[in-house]
Amino acid sequence: MPNGRVVVIGGGPAGIAAARTAAEFGVDVVIVERLAYLGGRPIEENYASLTPYLRSAEEAIGEMVSPLLAMSNVSVRYESKVISCTGEKGDFSIVIEHRGEQESLSAASIVVATGFSHFDPGRETQMYGYYEFDDVIALQDLEAMLKSGQVVRPSNGEAPKRVCFVQCVGSRDRQIGNEYCSKVCCGVASKEAIEVRLAVPGVEVFIFYIDMRMYGYWESQIYWPAQEKHHVQYVKGIITEVLPKDGRLLVRGEDTTMGRPMEVPMDLVVLSVGMEPSEGTRAMAGVLGIAQNKYGFIEAVNPPLDTVSTSRPGIFAVGSALGPADLEDCVSTGGFAGAKAASISLAGVGV
Amino acid sequence: MATVTTHPYFKVESVAGHTDVPHAEKERLIGQVFADPRMPSYLYGCYECGICVAACPSARFYDFSPRRIAQAAARHDVELLFQQLEEDVWECSQCFSCLRCPRGNNPGGIITIMREVAVTNGLRSAKVALEGYSRIIYKIMSTGTQVSPDMLQPDAFPDWGPEVKDVSENLSLWRRALPPETHHTTSTGWDVAESTILELYVIWMETGALDMIKEVDSGIHMILEEIMEERLEEEGIEL
Repeated sequence: MPNGRVVVIGGGPAGIAAARTAAEFGVDVVIVERLAYLGGRPIEENYASLTPYLRSAEEAIGEMVSPLLAMSNVSVRYESKVISCTGEKGDFSIVIEHRGEQESLSAASIVVATGFSHFDPGRETQMYGYYEFDDVIALQDLEAMLKSGQVVRPSNGEAPKRVCFVQCVGSRDRQIGNEYCSKVCCGVASKEAIEVRLAVPGVEVFIFYIDMRMYGYWESQIYWPAQEKHHVQYVKGIITEVLPKDGRLLVRGEDTTMGRPMEVPMDLVVLSVGMEPSEGTRAMAGVLGIAQNKYGFIEAVNPPLDTVSTSRPGIFAVGSALGPADLEDCVSTGGFAGAKAASISLAGVGV
Repeated sequence: MATVTTHPYFKVESVAGHTDVPHAEKERLIGQVFADPRMPSYLYGCYECGICVAACPSARFYDFSPRRIAQAAARHDVELLFQQLEEDVWECSQCFSCLRCPRGNNPGGIITIMREVAVTNGLRSAKVALEGYSRIIYKIMSTGTQVSPDMLQPDAFPDWGPEVKDVSENLSLWRRALPPETHHTTSTGWDVAESTILELYVIWMETGALDMIKEVDSGIHMILEEIMEERLEEEGIEL
């Protein structure tokens, strides 16, 4: 039995993949999780389904969690945080805190899987009124509605007749400082648009975008069906402001390809918010002393061919702690770092 | 149907050559476009990428864009589609260069359908567009050939040079000088067999192709109908 434990910080999809991979090598794994359950953002924020296959998030994530918890060499510290870390690769000493009580753990390596948080639309430089109008919501708010089976206008509980998505909220914006594309919002918005069309009979759905970024198979898996089968209307042009008018919301923008300004009344405006480093990601960068990029995400030091090594040997970062990532990225980097971490325990030498 | 905006930007009235009609009438006309069985394979979704415009010869000379046609159709923008029905569709040269669409759309095909709707409903734009073609329609439908040699009179084509006059004066002789015997004709483009003409008449009448022009040119329609009915009756063909 190899010595040297792998500590995984964060129990979302990337952390679960890392823990599972390391544990499959026979290494002892401890997951330190902020919440009282595993599953990460999709579970915490009540996602209805996962992009692009529209599978129930609870079901799919549940299928990751159950076999992990059944492994005898895996344990989880729920409602816990890492508060300090000393030592070096192969011989780290970590202190975690659980409801005011501290515990020391030794670790041969550490995997940081602390993820992202949704951009707060209150910081948007446009005038979308997220905190002002009940019927202006964000992607994750609509996920929760879809999960509950009720897509309604929060202001009056009625079914919306016209819904729009506004892309790139908090992404690709020099003024906000988030110059990056958040990668998944085009796909997620299109997926939700399909779900809204299926859930609300006769509803018109619009997506206002800068450019649609449906990389790889998402093109024909989500974008084309949304447009061709579900008649979601894609309009190239970003909304500049949302105004209340006659009990509805007037969105103002330019229909750029038609070369005309537009003002369209909506019943529900969904802001496609991007990703930012989560509070945990920012905190762990400080506690573990690993380099961040200018946006606060953990920096991978040898890109593009090593996606998970950080500036401190023996510490790896995975998933959306590294930057905007879809689930495939999260699970792939998670598994990669899990194997690298396990190899440190098994060989006692660097990888 | 859905529209992106209730206040779309249109061509200004002095440029727009058509008069407005009630919205319900626009819905009816555009409804016919979407009801066409070819439509599902002519329109998928539009990237609004402009590759069709880049390939379009008409777009170089007119305020015309196959992208706008596909876009308006993809958005079910009835108001804009109606304007296009009365204006833009007649600026297309039907060359189908736009078929290079990465989504598999056929903007030229959508225009074909829209033109047919304009023609069968006798829209002003169709009448204007086809005004100069009444002789051609007559020739095609009555003989199965388009431009016949005797239509090429020098006064009609002054830019064809001085030889046209000589040729037209001795047309029959010039035509007989052509090697293929089927070209020894003056009133048709080439020799058309009687059986072919009869078959054509049956097709024009049975498919409704003849009736398509009823609304745009009732005079030509009446003459052609008479010719066809008489000829078919002579042959004892009943429809």
